[in-house]
Amino acid sequence: MTTSVSAVRHGKTFWSRVKEQKVLILMTLPFLVHVIIFRYVPIWGWLMAFQNYRPGRGILEQTWVGLQNFKVLFDDPVFYQVLRNTLAMSIIKLAMGTVSSIALALMLNEVRRLWFKKTVQTVSYLPHFISWVVAANLVRDALSTDGGIVNEVLMKLGIIKEPIMFLGIPGLFWWIIGVTHVWKEVGWGAIIYLAAIAAIDPTLYESAMIDGAGRLKQMWYITLPSIRPTISVLLIMNLGWVLSSGFEQQYLLQNGRVIDYARVFTIYELDYGIKMMRYSFATAVGIFRSVVSLILVFSANQLAKRWGQERLV
Amino acid sequence: MKRRVSWFLPLLLILVLGGTAFAQEFKYFTVFTGEPLPDYPGSTIVGDIIERETGVKLIREALVGDLETKVGLMIASGDYPDLVVAAHFTSLLKDAGALIPLNDLIEEHAPNIKRLYANHWEMLKQEDGNVYWLPIQAIPYGPDTSRYPSLGFFINKRVLKENGWPLPRTLDEYFQLIEDYMKKHPTIDGEPTIGYVTLFDGWRSFATTNVPQHLMGYPNEGEFVPVMQQGRYVVTEYHTSPTAKRYYQKLNEMYNKGVVDPETFILNYDQYIEKLSSGRVLGTFNQFWQMQDAQNYLLYNKPESIFVPLPIVIDPLVEERQRDIPYVQPTQGMGITINCKDPVGAIKFLDYLIREDTQRLLQWGIEGVHYEVDENGLYYRTPEQLELFRNPDWVQNVFGRQYFFNAFPSLRGVDENGNMFFPDTQPHLIYADSTDSEKEVMDAYGVKSFSDLFNEPIPKKYFPLWTITMPAGSPAHIEETRMKDVLNRYVPELVMSPPEQFENIWQNFVKDIKPLMVEQMKVYQEGIDWRMENW
Repeated sequence: MTTSVSAVRHGKTFWSRVKEQKVLILMTLPFLVHVIIFRYVPIWGWLMAFQNYRPGRGILEQTWVGLQNFKVLFDDPVFYQVLRNTLAMSIIKLAMGTVSSIALALMLNEVRRLWFKKTVQTVSYLPHFISWVVAANLVRDALSTDGGIVNEVLMKLGIIKEPIMFLGIPGLFWWIIGVTHVWKEVGWGAIIYLAAIAAIDPTLYESAMIDGAGRLKQMWYITLPSIRPTISVLLIMNLGWVLSSGFEQQYLLQNGRVIDYARVFTIYELDYGIKMMRYSFATAVGIFRSVVSLILVFSANQLAKRWGQERLV
Repeated sequence: MKRRVSWFLPLLLILVLGGTAFAQEFKYFTVFTGEPLPDYPGSTIVGDIIERETGVKLIREALVGDLETKVGLMIASGDYPDLVVAAHFTSLLKDAGALIPLNDLIEEHAPNIKRLYANHWEMLKQEDGNVYWLPIQAIPYGPDTSRYPSLGFFINKRVLKENGWPLPRTLDEYFQLIEDYMKKHPTIDGEPTIGYVTLFDGWRSFATTNVPQHLMGYPNEGEFVPVMQQGRYVVTEYHTSPTAKRYYQKLNEMYNKGVVDPETFILNYDQYIEKLSSGRVLGTFNQFWQMQDAQNYLLYNKPESIFVPLPIVIDPLVEERQRDIPYVQPTQGMGITINCKDPVGAIKFLDYLIREDTQRLLQWGIEGVHYEVDENGLYYRTPEQLELFRNPDWVQNVFGRQYFFNAFPSLRGVDENGNMFFPDTQPHLIYADSTDSEKEVMDAYGVKSFSDLFNEPIPKKYFPLWTITMPAGSPAHIEETRMKDVLNRYVPELVMSPPEQFENIWQNFVKDIKPLMVEQMKVYQEGIDWRMENW
């Protein structure tokens, strides 16, 4: 396949190829412009991280301070706490989110009654469309010790005697973030896997059935391996977000009691950066995040390559 | 095509002619107000009068989202409206060179502003001697008193009524009342009674952490209190004071007895208001404006459960001075920006807004329609008029007060003929216009307003300390955020731990918070010294 394509390419000049693909090129142009304007031009603002930026003056009329902002950042004990929290919550969210979405997709795929499948799918992806502002209040009410449904049910079932203050236990916060993330995103995340499953050649299942594979064996030997490329590409892409780990969710569910476990980079940038007009400092934090994300994505990509998996770049 | 033009042209002609025949020449000013407000309805009772008399129409932009971000964006882009009011970020606009000095403009074109802000003029001068903004309230003739004090330990009316209207003075007595009532009435209206709730949501958590200063008898000074020593105010911290320790220890005791709501530290503001509004909360400390929504609901829906503010101190020996005298906030206000093409027109508009007649129109309305004048020249409202003004929707959308008040320069206190600018503080009406439920409490204590339960405030020149602002991003500013982090972390622990661990946690708390107050105290001390000398 590859050889034949390159052989065809070889004979033609660059411009004739451009002419040949001009429709495709025109189609991608708007997106290219969008990416340049909104993703590359703002990088110019990174200069701020090396300045003591004061609003109201041009970016080249500022005082330059070298790496001072990064020094302040790495000297701040809160930074390491924030780093830990962000990584922990991201990994929990990534792991729980991926596993639950795949599981839901696999199960939905096995459902034979169409109305049931569609109902479950709709119900499970509806929470995705609720803003966290609303969702956080739902979660707070559900976990309340004063008549919250979770405590009520657990108490009625006799599992606990006293209501548990779920949102007040520092050690639980990461897991609450994980579980509420699953609740909100599981259906949405399953869609892409369902699409990947739908693309599997049905003859594979037929031959597996002839070989005597049951439902579970088909899932394990046919479905899962077939969607492995999708899983690995999505994982690599999501690794780029590991140091972002959301903002609203933590910001709206946190409280003074659990602050040491709830503060993530975005909240840190807000509290210690923007809110104090320390734009330079906030930018330095942003650069740190971008660089680490880039390293993560590329190393994951390399690993995938080594293991012979589908990869991104 | 041709056919369309044939009817379009005459129509256009009619529109243009009709428009010019009736239209007044309007001046347009853009204004940004640093608080959320719905779009102007287009026509309101006061708005129409103001437009007619000034020939000015405002193009408004109200706050959506976060004010700090908005101000930051405005400065970064240099895209300023003509008039701007940005609450406590006003000084940032000035630092960025966005505001024009108002001194000469006021001198030449704004006699009313000059006259009505005369009392405050010195406070408004910045380091360069210029005035860049007008505080949103001026008190030209003297302060007023409100029905409710600005803060207090609030207690459910049921508790007082059942005990024959006692007047607890100390924190111990206050909690004793609540604890006893809770034992006798474990449920209210079929739901569990909640003894005490304290608000601890985000920036509002000062409702919990500011309390020690009030237990020491001070009004709201902020994070530190100025203590008079040898004729000089010395900025002193109270977060680690013996009073603070006793306060948190009391809360700890009450928490472990189940009097303090177990989930009080994880409630957000909405949940807090919801709890208070349920009528089954017996006590809470707060600044009145933070719980006013709940009180307003209770007044008309559960009058037997309204909250009564009490002047509670830590020890009977402490002199209680928790009430404050209405003050002007010199660090924020409305300014005119460098983008304004017609600063003279703008200052004239503000001059019109601030004068007594306009203020009376905004607050009281039109004489004979929205208020009446009695034989002594005192204003009052008939029950029907009162009913009208009790409806916030009507006041905002039909009457239109909010669109020219709150964010705009306005007057408060006594007016030039002995009435009050705010109908709510008209002395002979405070009692008369109270609800029956409020009157019952006032009668029982023999007072005519809830403020009278408190001692008279002491006038202080610098007041209050918290209006001194930390320079953005300065070490003191960072220290302040870190200090609040420490409070956020330790206070729930102090209250929610088993009593035997309290001492240990307290030691750690003191150790962690002490070093985080040094820079702030320096800034406050400089600020207060400057104020004592220059105001």
